[in-house]
Amino acid sequence: MTSPPIRSGSRRELLASVAVTSLLASASEAGARGYSGSLPFRTYSADPPRPVLPGAWVFFTQDEAVAVEAIVDRLVPADDLSVGGKEAGCAVFIDRQLAGPYGHSSRLYTQGPFLPGLPTQGYQGEMNPAQRYRAGLAAIDAHLKREKGRGFAALPAVEQDAFLTRLEKGEVTLPPGSGGAQGFFNLVLQNTMEGFFSDPVYGGNRGMASWRMLGFPGTRYDYRDWVSKHNQRYPLPPVSIMGAPEWSAR
Amino acid sequence: MSALRNTLAALALVVGTATAHAEGADQADRIMRGQYQAVLGDCMACHTRPGGAPFAGGLPLETPFGALVPPNITPDPETGIGQWSEADFTRMMRTGIGHGGRRLYPAMPYPAYSLMTERDIADLWAYLATVEPVANRVVANQLPFPFNIRLSMLFWNLLNFTPQPFRPDPAQSAEWNRGAYLVQGPAHCGSCHTPKTMLGADDTSQALRGASLQGWFAPDITGDPQTGIGGWSQEELVTYLRTGVNAHSVASGPMREAVENSTSRMNDADLRAIAVYLRSLRPAASPVPQPVAASEPRMRAGAAVYAANCAACHGAEGTGARQLFPALAGNPLVRQANAETLVHLVLAGSQGAHTPGAPTTPAMPSLAWRLNDAQVADVLTYVRNSWGNAAAPVLPEQVAKQRGGGDGMPLWPWIAGAAMVVCLVLLGLLAVCRRRRRPLAA
Repeated sequence: MTSPPIRSGSRRELLASVAVTSLLASASEAGARGYSGSLPFRTYSADPPRPVLPGAWVFFTQDEAVAVEAIVDRLVPADDLSVGGKEAGCAVFIDRQLAGPYGHSSRLYTQGPFLPGLPTQGYQGEMNPAQRYRAGLAAIDAHLKREKGRGFAALPAVEQDAFLTRLEKGEVTLPPGSGGAQGFFNLVLQNTMEGFFSDPVYGGNRGMASWRMLGFPGTRYDYRDWVSKHNQRYPLPPVSIMGAPEWSAR
Repeated sequence: MSALRNTLAALALVVGTATAHAEGADQADRIMRGQYQAVLGDCMACHTRPGGAPFAGGLPLETPFGALVPPNITPDPETGIGQWSEADFTRMMRTGIGHGGRRLYPAMPYPAYSLMTERDIADLWAYLATVEPVANRVVANQLPFPFNIRLSMLFWNLLNFTPQPFRPDPAQSAEWNRGAYLVQGPAHCGSCHTPKTMLGADDTSQALRGASLQGWFAPDITGDPQTGIGGWSQEELVTYLRTGVNAHSVASGPMREAVENSTSRMNDADLRAIAVYLRSLRPAASPVPQPVAASEPRMRAGAAVYAANCAACHGAEGTGARQLFPALAGNPLVRQANAETLVHLVLAGSQGAHTPGAPTTPAMPSLAWRLNDAQVADVLTYVRNSWGNAAAPVLPEQVAKQRGGGDGMPLWPWIAGAAMVVCLVLLGLLAVCRRRRRPLAA
């Protein structure tokens, strides 16, 4: 531990500075956690995600599920590039997310005061995402049944797109607590994209459809052999957290 | 007059202290040498629990015959060996018969220790007497009937063990003989690395060719170029024993502990001697199998698993990274006839030994959660048959067995046990018949 050079300081100054420096040094050592011997390690230790299993809806009612499947299939329509949002499992993804910590905002501060925020601050209301879906979907269903005599899923695609456009522009009235039409549309759009592009382990992106579309290699983590190969396409297929079809020969 | 007496007394005191001092120095040397013998013999490995008091008793050893718990060998008079005499200790090391005539099971490697010199055993005793006594009662014998009958070891010894001192081979160098003495005697390498007979004795015809124990396969450590350490240089072998890692391999499982507690603490001359001896062992070379064809579906699946799970550390071509991640290409551990260790490593993960020469302790994560039995089998089949490696494929059933916690108890110990019971009954009948006959004769 060296002390800063002292211009013409007295011996007393030097001693004092050395004392302070050593005191600081020992204090910071006392605060640090020390390891000796091997680094901590346990066999069989792992913290794997719990894969979403296909099966009955967990959060959505049957009617809600039908509506959400129809919505995600318009936000990500099936085309030459990829399957649609429904077939990719976006609704399943959203269902499981709403049933879990995300749906209940269990990691967010959710007490008041609830003041209107700026658009850049995102949703500032008191409902959690699960409540916003329940209220928003119910309001949309009531609105459409009043206006068209049937729910969203029963509309032809052109009318579905037209309604979603109105929703996005805020031309439909939704309960204010759910964030309004615009806020609700943005929530569903965001969750649909998350479902479409996130790891299949969470229920969406079935068959790594979006990753194959993009050429994204997934949870691979070593590209050293490719760093110097410029302008060449990376040849390996994508890998999910829970594996890839190529891993199974049988 | 009284001054003279005082002077004489003082002189006597000085002389006496000096003598005592000389004896003390002798004794200190003996204890230091004995401590080194405890390192060579790796007494710690079995007789100390992880994190427990040194030599106060260890974790149960799962033998094919049942569990044996290494006892407390501190000088505690009640629960340790405080009531043993040096003669008791010497007899135990030479014959497997302990204090009060109790027969030890050969999980205590007395067949190996019996080769130790008089002086080495005496030094070890001197050291063990200085270990801090710890009161810890250990029930060593937790074997099921009939194996729990200690007297049965009388017959085991008759069949499997002839106490004899180490006989040097005059045709070999002093260094080679020192290595042979260490490997066969105190370091008891064969306890893990030599296959066992039906009765649990070393199969000497297969000495150090590799053996299965406690969910691991202790590899072939002869100079065999395919499965042994024949491809390692003298220096590479010494480095491995000293640090637990070299360009080819990283110690794992029980060998990791053996490196930490024993080989990393051996002196360089002894490590060199061990390397000279092991490298000289050239048994009939094991046959090199045909590699599994890369076009087979399980090899293709294995290659896909390898690229996504293993290649980042072990390299796309299995070259590893020196001192950190073992090479898989040309690594004899990968080519063992038995893949038990490899399955264990993939399922459970592993961490390198912590030694002064290699303090980093890099670790391999557990992949049990991510790979199913077939995927573990296929990636190991791929590793065992790529980049010049060739070895028997691994089957999903083998992985399933180990994932479930191992084979369970094999059948043959029960056959041996049944044979023992039959012998005991026959002996009993014989005794009864004799007693009946006696009154008639009288």
